[in-house]
Amino acid sequence: MDRIVICRCEEVDLEEIEQTLINYQCSMREIKLRTRAGMGYCGGRTCRPALNAILEKVSGEKQPHQIPLKVQPPVRPVSLGRIGETNYE
Amino acid sequence: MNSHRILDHPVLGKLTIEKEIPFTFDGKKYTGYEGDTIASALLAQGIRTLRVHEESGSPRGIYCNIGHCFECRVTVDGTPGIRACLTELNPDMIIESGKQQFSPFKSTENQDDLPRTYAEFEKQLKGEKEDEPDV
Ligand code: FES
Repeated sequence: MDRIVICRCEEVDLEEIEQTLINYQCSMREIKLRTRAGMGYCGGRTCRPALNAILEKVSGEKQPHQIPLKVQPPVRPVSLGRIGETNYE
Repeated sequence: MNSHRILDHPVLGKLTIEKEIPFTFDGKKYTGYEGDTIASALLAQGIRTLRVHEESGSPRGIYCNIGHCFECRVTVDGTPGIRACLTELNPDMIIESGKQQFSPFKSTENQDDLPRTYAEFEKQLKGEKEDEPDV
């Protein structure tokens, strides 16, 4: 049990996120771009609270840094084919 | 065989067995019961690995079981990304688990370790030693 996976979609573990946070002193958005945590198939809906909690713990501030992880549509994964289809029933 | 099913639940009572529903998972035939989700039918057969991670190949199965996390996605009758935990089992469904994919952009120490053909990739997946390249 020494490897705690935080983002299951992209398989990013706690240690990698903490290390990246310590090394770059960055926002959660930057963590997402560096490690791909929260960038996977589920749209980051599963690990976002955990990611924010990790940032809070490492930086020691409530609502640390300026750039949060944003939430944007679609709320669940949709294939491009579905969006483009004109006569989809 | 549905050996992992709870037939007599302390709160929910006895299971009244409804219609049997045949389906196929990764080319093997199984039966579930009417009202099963794909995930519950497979769990009852002792199958917990619904897919593997596309890049690393580590196993994935039911995680949230409420349709939130997409960890349980399988391919049903050719449609990928179907959540096994939310999708009701229909007769003669053809279900395929998610497989490991190529990761062509991953940096490697030694480029000779990379598979050059699909046959080599499959061999590496099975953990076999690489031999003469197929011509
Ligand atoms: S287990 Fe989470 S979506 Fe099915």
